Amino acid sequence: MITNMMIQSILPQLIIAFGLVLSMLLIAWQRSQRMIQFLTLIIFIIALVANVPIFTIDAIQVTSLLKVDSYSAFTFMLIGLSGVVVTLLSGKYLRTQTEVHDEYYLLLQLVILGASILVVSDHFASLFLGFELLSIALVGLVGYIREDKYSVETGFKYLILSATASSFMLLGIAFIYSQTGDLSFVYHTGLVSGDLPQASVVLLVGSLLFFIGIAFKLSLVPFHFWTPDVYQGSSTPVTMILATISKVAMFTVLMKYWFSWLSYSEAGLFDHDIFMKLLSIIAMLSMVFGNSLALMQTNIKRLLGYSSIAHMGYILIILMVTSSQSINFAWQSALFYLAAYVLASLSIFTVLIVYSSQNSLAINKSSSTDDDITISDWNGLFWRNKTLACLVILSVLSLAGIPLTMGFIGKFYLLTVATQGELWWLIGALIIGSGIGLFYYLRIIFALFNTETSESSVSENNWKIELPVTNHLFIVVLAVVGLFFGIFPDMVTRLIGSL
Amino acid sequence: MTAIPLAHVLMLASILFAIGFMGVIVRKNTLFMLMSLEVMLNAVGVAFIGAGSYWQQADGQVMFILILTLAAAEVAVGLALLIRLQHKYQSLDIDKLNSMQG
Repeated sequence: MITNMMIQSILPQLIIAFGLVLSMLLIAWQRSQRMIQFLTLIIFIIALVANVPIFTIDAIQVTSLLKVDSYSAFTFMLIGLSGVVVTLLSGKYLRTQTEVHDEYYLLLQLVILGASILVVSDHFASLFLGFELLSIALVGLVGYIREDKYSVETGFKYLILSATASSFMLLGIAFIYSQTGDLSFVYHTGLVSGDLPQASVVLLVGSLLFFIGIAFKLSLVPFHFWTPDVYQGSSTPVTMILATISKVAMFTVLMKYWFSWLSYSEAGLFDHDIFMKLLSIIAMLSMVFGNSLALMQTNIKRLLGYSSIAHMGYILIILMVTSSQSINFAWQSALFYLAAYVLASLSIFTVLIVYSSQNSLAINKSSSTDDDITISDWNGLFWRNKTLACLVILSVLSLAGIPLTMGFIGKFYLLTVATQGELWWLIGALIIGSGIGLFYYLRIIFALFNTETSESSVSENNWKIELPVTNHLFIVVLAVVGLFFGIFPDMVTRLIGSL
Repeated sequence: MTAIPLAHVLMLASILFAIGFMGVIVRKNTLFMLMSLEVMLNAVGVAFIGAGSYWQQADGQVMFILILTLAAAEVAVGLALLIRLQHKYQSLDIDKLNSMQG
């Protein structure tokens, strides 16, 4: 029986699905890039508005497939806001191309739809559907710009790796299902087959395979090889989606699954300790390797790719919470950390997009988009445009976790979780990783103030970057939001705490 | 007629999956990599059907239909990329795709 309450709680997803159909009708009627961009923006904003009332309702089960609660509402807000930012910036990016790019916005809406299904899923079938909507649409986006020199290579690499990842995840689900006889996340007593002596082994292997599938998407260390290449090779708005929307949705669904899975281990059906040890090894490797490999990078997008590996390693600490009393606190820490990470990533990628579009206008190479921005390209950026540089500094400091930014409070939350669980090794890795991280984050900031610019590439008259008013306003808003929540983090914590 | 034990079905599925995975890793030709991906997905399908019949539920078969849809979508995207690969490099060799370093 579907009640009005249920309809209301999945309204954001319904709006985006309906919007997709509308967008296709619009394309059939008239192909106009400006109109489809505007429609996409409107759809995301309406979905975000429809999401607001869900913050206050209690958790509600919508059929056995979906479960909407206030945590998923918060993550949907993060996803929707990233979607809005990506839509706004894509227009800027695609304008340097010649074709009409309707399909781009359709794929973008599909990505958002997949991510929003993922965050409310409570059943392996809906998880699978959301996962694949997200991945296949992303493959399309990654290889979207055909003229780009990397597009075929990146698209193919991402396709093969994400398909492999989803097969691993599916095999894991099949193993779990073969032992529990139920595809929903919820634990039902008495369903686990008693006549199989190896039940717990199959369950362990199954959940390991499932975790491998998700770990590919989160680019945790043994499964991270695609990350830098795909980050570098896809166009910057798409990299933004990979870094924010896909990561947030995957981590949310992993947490949802993991915390309902705890009841299996409490029932003694599942060897929890081995899995925990593996998880902490993966987390430590991600923190240390992600940060050390980033040290050698000169390309900014590759560097951010490695830094995202490290960040996903940090946030994995939250899965180490074992007692069911502290699950609430774990959710709060995860949501705060994700919010900080998303805001910082959005800011720094915005700067990358604005910078490269200004640059290509200046050098008049509208046909090709060269995304290979290295750190040395940003030499003296502060003297060329102060607003851009300030946003870079703010977001880089937030990623590094310096006080007065959101990243600091996020790290503080993680440390609290880790000390409560007495996970000393993980704390050690977190501190070492952040220490190494500071080195390359500060290298970016030093470059901004470096006066010895290589002015051979940029001629004297367009050395100063002049931004259009809308761009300027957008960047100022991002910077003010970042600074505000950094100084007053209790605004966010109170919102999250009331969930 | 005796039923096939669940453990045997899972073993068969794992072996098929391993064969497919080896194919993805070892093969140099991108067309064969896509085919190996299909083998992996179908191995998962076998596991789902086996588990579904063990529990006497339709869930396993429903999942298999979803997997078939996924495989079709993935191959559609994969073949489109394959054609562009052939067009650009005049070859299907995966080793041609190595312009990014670091």
